[in-house]
Amino acid sequence: MPEALLSAQGVTVRFGGLLAVDRVDLEVHRGELVGVIGPNGAGKTTFFHALSGVLAPGAGRIMVAGDDLTGKPPHAYAVHGVARTFQTPRVFREMPVLDNVRFGLEFAGRTRRHAHDAFEDPRAILEFLGLAGAAAVPAGGLTPSKQRLLEIGMALGARPRVLLLDEVAAGLTHAELDLTAQLIRRVRDELGLAVIWIEHAVRVLMDHVERVAVLHQGAKIADGDPRKVAKDPAVIEAYLGEEATA
Amino acid sequence: MKLRDSILAALLAALLLSVMPWLLSDFGLSLTLTCLMYAGLAVSWAMFCGATNYLSLATAAFFGMGAYVTAWGAAGLPYGMAVLLGGLAAAAFAGLVGCAVLHLRGAYFAVITFGLGELVRHAITYYEKAYEGTVGRIIAEPPDSVTIYHTVLLLAALAVVTALLVRSSRLGLALRGIGADEERAQTLGVNARRVKILAFALSAFFAGALGAAMAVRWTYIDPPTVFNPFIGFQTVLIAMVGGAHTIIGPIASSVLFSLLTEFLRLQFPYLFLILLGLMLILLVLYLPGGLASLIERGRVGERWRWRKSDA
Repeated sequence: MPEALLSAQGVTVRFGGLLAVDRVDLEVHRGELVGVIGPNGAGKTTFFHALSGVLAPGAGRIMVAGDDLTGKPPHAYAVHGVARTFQTPRVFREMPVLDNVRFGLEFAGRTRRHAHDAFEDPRAILEFLGLAGAAAVPAGGLTPSKQRLLEIGMALGARPRVLLLDEVAAGLTHAELDLTAQLIRRVRDELGLAVIWIEHAVRVLMDHVERVAVLHQGAKIADGDPRKVAKDPAVIEAYLGEEATA
Repeated sequence: MKLRDSILAALLAALLLSVMPWLLSDFGLSLTLTCLMYAGLAVSWAMFCGATNYLSLATAAFFGMGAYVTAWGAAGLPYGMAVLLGGLAAAAFAGLVGCAVLHLRGAYFAVITFGLGELVRHAITYYEKAYEGTVGRIIAEPPDSVTIYHTVLLLAALAVVTALLVRSSRLGLALRGIGADEERAQTLGVNARRVKILAFALSAFFAGALGAAMAVRWTYIDPPTVFNPFIGFQTVLIAMVGGAHTIIGPIASSVLFSLLTEFLRLQFPYLFLILLGLMLILLVLYLPGGLASLIERGRVGERWRWRKSDA
């Protein structure tokens, strides 16, 4: 197997007495789409903060394409090709939609090229996301679900190698959800990205990813084929039991 | 307006202004000089603070440092050299303290930058008393008023052109990203620390150079005069009243302020500060986006508004 694009080794984040992320290992390769699920408070978003440099882990290592970035600031991760979205959209509200996508291109993505020429142009990214009509509108004027899409667009603008998606499906209707999932798979296939997708709602992910990791109370309790993970007694007890009705 | 057109317009305005010494009375020239000084200070302040939503009160510190470079160098240093060195000293100082304080935000940053001015003022006072045995300095042979005017005009024009270039560059985009959401900008590859230090130092250069250029106007220089916090407050007010997210706003407002201050002072010598204060309150209440928002109304999508809410 080739070298992992993103590799977390024993990543641990502690808030005072609370162990938010507990020695989590996760490797993602080029072209892989990995889901991360877990009940509320399982440490999913905190884990993402660590993977994108927003929070420095208290222990463990984070390697991006073979480079050790542990403890480096967020822009170092971005420049190395790790792009992320935020759970609550954090678009530049007063900036036109197009400039939001262009932003990453000017900084993180400046020294890299996309595997696919179609994504060289920020307008093409908007087209791909179905936001082309809103290019000149200030991003704050978009509906929340469109802002979620724009979050993905901003991350794509950074010409990532690894894409971290934090609950991009939250609050979407079924139809929107299927569309978003298709979109994510297309990005992964066409650009050859490694994608990690966090979702609170299990069903969504199970249908769309080839591999899933489960976090519970900060620790990883399962990692593998979604169908197998769904039958894992530890997972059922920790998570699916509680969510089975969801 | 296209970048090239804006720069040409700025240079043309500077060219027109450069003949003023031969057209205006002494009083008119001195008033124009004040306008130019505040235009340079406000535009360079807004270059960093307007885009990033930082509130810096360090202008007085940079201005005073520049003035002291002139005072110390008065004996041997040519005027132009003193102005350049004054700017460089302020920029170096801003870069240095920027490393230490630019991670602070909001009121903390405002307070600490205000404290910087006091720190430098007291340090210089102490040094002068302890080692030079003096409380102030006399500038024996100041350059003539036309030279001073042209120097300040050049600095103001440079500040405007620099602000235009910054705004349309990646640096400007990074600064606006930092102002909108610093962490988001970082996750998209902006080295926020480096960008902020660079822009803070760049904006300090102009305050320092203007301080050095203006210092020769007071024939006697002492720390309370050149580190006058009023200069810092006035700069911030002018920039904010004009609209700190723009370039034309601070320019227009520095002209308005200087004329208004002078007019009120002459007409109502006892009431003028009260009237000025009243006008400020009204402006802030009814025109929070600054004078520039008058021009911009109806072009909402194209602008970067100055937001006070998340400063």
